[in-house]
Amino acid sequence: MTSPMVSTSGATTTTGGDADGNAGAGAAGAGARIEAVADDLARASLALARRFSLGGTMWCASPAWPFHAHHVAVEFVHPVIVGKRALAAVTVPAGADLVTTLRASVRPGDMVVVLADHDDATVTDALRRGPAWGTETVWIGAGRTRPPAGSADHVIWLDTDDALEASEQFVRVYHLLWELTHVCFEHSGLLKAEQLCTDDVCITCSDEGRLAEVVTVEGDEAVVRAEGKQERIDVSLIDPPGPGDLVLVHAGFAIGAS
Amino acid sequence: MSPESTDFLYPFIEGDETDADSLLADLARSATAKWAQSQDLRTETLARVAAQLDQVASAMAERFAAGGRLFAFGNGGSATDADGVAQLYTAPPWGGAVSARSLVEDQAVLTALANDIGFDNVFSRQLIAHGRPTDVAMGFSTSGNSDNLLVAFGQARKQGMLTVGLAGIDGGRMAVDASVQYCLVVRSQSVHRVQEAQAALTSALWARVQQALGAAAA
Repeated sequence: MTSPMVSTSGATTTTGGDADGNAGAGAAGAGARIEAVADDLARASLALARRFSLGGTMWCASPAWPFHAHHVAVEFVHPVIVGKRALAAVTVPAGADLVTTLRASVRPGDMVVVLADHDDATVTDALRRGPAWGTETVWIGAGRTRPPAGSADHVIWLDTDDALEASEQFVRVYHLLWELTHVCFEHSGLLKAEQLCTDDVCITCSDEGRLAEVVTVEGDEAVVRAEGKQERIDVSLIDPPGPGDLVLVHAGFAIGAS
Repeated sequence: MSPESTDFLYPFIEGDETDADSLLADLARSATAKWAQSQDLRTETLARVAAQLDQVASAMAERFAAGGRLFAFGNGGSATDADGVAQLYTAPPWGGAVSARSLVEDQAVLTALANDIGFDNVFSRQLIAHGRPTDVAMGFSTSGNSDNLLVAFGQARKQGMLTVGLAGIDGGRMAVDASVQYCLVVRSQSVHRVQEAQAALTSALWARVQQALGAAAA
């Protein structure tokens, strides 16, 4: 190592370069990291294949690295392997407000795939609305700190603090996401609608509180969006919410803010 | 690659398949194997072109030190590589920022040129407008055969710019075209693995440019 370098996280690291000027941590170690994310990649790929099969659109976003979001979308829309299906994928433009754009655009059954740091507030706000909008969410990132549990349906997190190494490995991750998604298309029995709800306790089917996003409020009543569909609920039990707020709904009543 | 070339890895299972666990295990194994292939290709590529990277970095650092700017371009996924390079050079994770721009980022310019002149000229016409002899033209292609890249490299050389190409497979026309002064080739038949190794080359080249600029400033 010639000199320590400062990574984007502000921590001093010696993995930023070596005597040959090679960026990243080099060959050692990086190959082993896949073990930690291979299962997450597999599950996310199957989930995407199911959503695509049922007509979903994949929305890609990366406020910090917009080129990665564009790469994901072009990968799915225009496959590099001739004969593979063109899939509905879109990039949310870097300059657009992520929540506003997705709120207006997504339909139930769509997917939202983001590449972002664990503390990206815009991405956090967009993904937490997944249950209300009816979207399946995938969060790809890197670093020692992961997003809080439950931030997304699928979290694919690389164990590196080196910005350059992370950026390289993101390309591998979304290439593999595409490759594995297409493998899943060969397993049509696993892509049916009923396969989407196989958990013992499914929030969609059970009688638990469901997350909903407030659309409009009129006195004690509000129109909300839950699982992507609008419904009218009673909000008299909670502090008056405003449009865009997230509330928990049970049996037609908002029972709490979220 | 033919669409069926990997089918043997994933035996066809009937449409009444209901247990996802064996598929998920297969997918995870496949991901792990491909990750290792990508890592091996990265190591092989960086070692094979190490001397070339030093030469390119030194030549680029000379241009930057003389006030030169970097113009990056490519099509499809390679267009996103060009965007990524522009971001890396102008907003680096460490080191100093230098002037760099992607020629695919302005949709108005891109569509105007494509509509009025043709797609082969979308990059070369921008170089005519912006390029100076101190600048660097960097083009990304997995095949090495993109017409609009070769037109752009030819134009860049006419204007005295330094030309750097990143290509894959066997380097294609970029590897043999005299207008591409430095052609860094990733030797793989897989477009995905080529792009992954090109990402490594991009990082390695940028780090060397930073070192060369630091040495020039010292």
